[in-house]
Amino acid sequence: MLRLAGGALLRATEFLVAIVVCGFAAAWAGPAQSATAEGIYASAPPRLLQIRTLVADAGRQTSIGSGFLVSSDGLAITNYHVVSQVALEPKTYRLEYIGADGSRGEVSLLDVDVPNDLAVVRLDKKDAPFFQFDRAAMDGAMPKGERLYSMGDPLDLGFTIVEGTYNGLVDHSYTDRVHFSGALNPGMSGGPTVTAEGRVVGINVATRNGGQLVSFLVPARFADALLTRVRNRGPAPDLRAEIGRQLAASQAELYKSFLDQGFRSVALGPYRTPESTVSWLNCWARTNADATPKPRASINTTTCTSDAGLFVASDLNIGNVQISHSFVKTIDLNQFQLATLLTQLSQGRVVGGGQYRKWYTPEHCHEDFVATAAASDRPPLRATWCARAYREFDGLYDVALVAVTQDDGSEALVSRLNLQAIGYDDAMALGKRFLEALQVTR
Amino acid sequence: MIWIEVLSRHRELATRVRVTASEARIGRGYDNDVIVDDPYVAPNHLRIFRDDAGQLIAEDLGSVNGIFLDGSDKRSARVVVDGEHPIRIGQTLLRVRSADHAVAPERIAPPEARLVPGVLVAALGITVLGLYALTVWLAQTAEVRASDYLTPLLWIIVAVILWAGLWALLSRVFSGRSHFMRNLLIALGGTLALAAYNEIARVLAFSFTAPSATAYQYAAAWTIVAVICFLHLRQIGHTRLWLKGVIVATVLATAIAAQTLQRSEAFSIVGRQGTVHVLLPPSFRAVPVREEAAFFRAVGDLKDKIDADRKDAKPAEAGGR
Repeated sequence: MLRLAGGALLRATEFLVAIVVCGFAAAWAGPAQSATAEGIYASAPPRLLQIRTLVADAGRQTSIGSGFLVSSDGLAITNYHVVSQVALEPKTYRLEYIGADGSRGEVSLLDVDVPNDLAVVRLDKKDAPFFQFDRAAMDGAMPKGERLYSMGDPLDLGFTIVEGTYNGLVDHSYTDRVHFSGALNPGMSGGPTVTAEGRVVGINVATRNGGQLVSFLVPARFADALLTRVRNRGPAPDLRAEIGRQLAASQAELYKSFLDQGFRSVALGPYRTPESTVSWLNCWARTNADATPKPRASINTTTCTSDAGLFVASDLNIGNVQISHSFVKTIDLNQFQLATLLTQLSQGRVVGGGQYRKWYTPEHCHEDFVATAAASDRPPLRATWCARAYREFDGLYDVALVAVTQDDGSEALVSRLNLQAIGYDDAMALGKRFLEALQVTR
Repeated sequence: MIWIEVLSRHRELATRVRVTASEARIGRGYDNDVIVDDPYVAPNHLRIFRDDAGQLIAEDLGSVNGIFLDGSDKRSARVVVDGEHPIRIGQTLLRVRSADHAVAPERIAPPEARLVPGVLVAALGITVLGLYALTVWLAQTAEVRASDYLTPLLWIIVAVILWAGLWALLSRVFSGRSHFMRNLLIALGGTLALAAYNEIARVLAFSFTAPSATAYQYAAAWTIVAVICFLHLRQIGHTRLWLKGVIVATVLATAIAAQTLQRSEAFSIVGRQGTVHVLLPPSFRAVPVREEAAFFRAVGDLKDKIDADRKDAKPAEAGGR
C-alpha cells in the first residue's frame, strides 16, 4: 500500500497525476452527482484542513497531508502517518494547518492511534463548523455501491473533492479498512470521505500500488473511539512511550489471535506443513518447474504473508508475518549439491522493516539439530533461530525461524516463519508449535 | 706468497690478489701491489710483511686515516693479521692470508634430489586442483558449464606460480639460488592446507554444530599463510631463523587483529553475525539430535544477549537525540 502523505517524491509524479485527475473528472462526473458534490464542497471549507509538517528550524514544510475538524472547540482528525515525524521527534518538527477557507495557524498533537493510523490534533479555532460521523457506517450497515465523496489537498494542488463508491471492508486484512473505489492521491491522507449528506464514513489513508482507483479508508468508528479517549483522558503525556505501548498491545493481540487459531496441516510432497488458519493471511504458491534452463531440483513453495504491516515512521513498517514452505526434490543433483541448494534456501535472516542501525539491535542466531518427538513421522530438523530487538520499543522482537528436514538426502522441506514485532515468549510458543507441526508421511 | 682479499661491507669476498713478493704494498696509488679505490685510503697506505717470528704484519706507511682491526676503533701503527679478523683502512675491509692458511675439510655432497621435488610438485598440484574441482562440483546447483571449473582452477595455477616465482626471485637475490621447485612445493602445500581447512570447517560447522569453525576461518587462513611465508624465508637462508619467525609472527598477529577489528565493526554496522550457515547431506550429522526443549532453552538464553545489546544501545541513542 502507498500511504498518502505528500513528501519529496511529489514533484516527480505531478504531471502524470494531473492528467489522471482531469481525465477522470471529464469521463465520470454526471450532472446529478456533480450537483451533490458541489453542495458538499460548498459547506466544507472552514472544516477542511491541510496539515503541514514543518522542520522547526527551517520553518518550511517537509511533508503534507489533510485533516478535518470534528468539534467546535478545535479538535481535528488526521492520519498518524501525517504527523508521525512530530510524534517521534517533537523537537525537530512542528505542525501547521491551512484551512480550505484560507485560515492558518499552529497545530498541537494530542494523541495517536498507531494501529489504526489515526491522530487527534488541536487547532486554535473556536466555534468553527465541524464534520459529524455517519451512524450507518459506524454500525457497519452501509450498502456496497453507496456513493461517497472524498476531500483533501492532493499533491499540494489545492483542496479537491473526489467521487467514488463504498465497497465494504477489505478481505484478508488484519486491520479493518474500508475499500473505497475512488482516486486518492498523496496529500489527501487524513482527509474525510463523506456521504451525500456530508457525514464522515472514513478517513483517507492509502492506495494500492498498481491498482486502479483502489483506495482505502480508516473506518470512522476508530476516529470516534480515539476522540472519546482524548476527551476522557486528555492528551497523551509522552507520545513516544504511548506509541511503544500501543505497538506492544496491538502486536500482542495480533499474535494472540495467531496462537489461538493454531495451525492446520497441509500436505506438500511427502511432508505435512503447518498453515495458519487466520483469515488475514494472503497465501500464494510458486514453482520453478517451468524455469529455463531446466532446473536440477524442483522447488515448490507456498508463502503466506500478512498485510498487517504498521506504519510507525517513514522508514519503519513493522508487524509483517510470513510463513513459507518449500519442498525441494532433486532431479539430477547429488546429495552434496542438494545440500548446497538447501543452504541457499535456508539462510536464517530476519527480514527488515526499517534501517538496522536506527531501529534494531544486532541480530543473534542459534542453530542446531532438533527433533520434536522420537516418532517416525517427525523428521529430524536442522533449525536456525535468529532474533533481534527494537531499540525504541520495549518487549518487541523480530524473529526468523528456519527449519530444514534431515530425513532424506534427495529431498527436503525448508520451512520458514518470520515474525516481526513480537513478544519473545509469544515467538517461542509459536516457533514451538510450528516445529512440532512439521511431519513426514513416508 | 701472500693473499690479499678485499671484502664487501657484508664481509663477502670482493676481490682476491696474490702477491708473490715477500712484501705487499697496498694503497690508492698505482705503485702498489694491491690498488684500493677508496678516497679515504692514502696513496701508500700500508705494507704487509713477515716479521722475524714468521707472523704477517700490517704496518702503516704514514696514512692520515690509519689502520684498524675490524670492529675496533683503536688505531694502531702495526697490526698482526691472522687470516681470520679483517683490518679496515678508510672504508675498505681487507683480509690477509698466507698460502698455508688452514681451510675446512671437504663437505659430503647431498644425493642428487632433482627428481623428488618434481614428482612431489606434480602430485601435490594434481591433489590441489582435484580438491578445488571437487569443491566446485559439489557446490554446483545450476547448469554445468566448463568455465565454472576452468576459471577458478586457472586462477589458482596462476596465483601459485606467481607466488612461488616471487619467492624464487627473492631467494635468487639474497642467497644466489632460486630453488623454484622447492618454493613451488611450499606454495602448493599451503594451498592444499587452505582448501582442506575450508572443507574441515564446513564439516565441523554442520556435523558437530560448531559454527566457530567457520567464524574464525580467517584466523586459520592467516596462520597458514604465515607458516608458508616462514618456510619460504627458511628456504632463502637457514640463518637467523628465530628473527624470521618473530617477524612472521608479528605480521600474523597484526593481520589477525586488524581483521578481527574490521569484522567486529562490520558486525556493529550491519548487525549480522559472521557465522556461515552450512548444510551438508543428512548422513554427515555426527552429533545426536537435540530435544526440542533443549533447543528452546538455548533460544531463550539468546534473549538475554539481545536484551543486553539493547541496554548497551539505549544510552547512545538517548544522547543522540
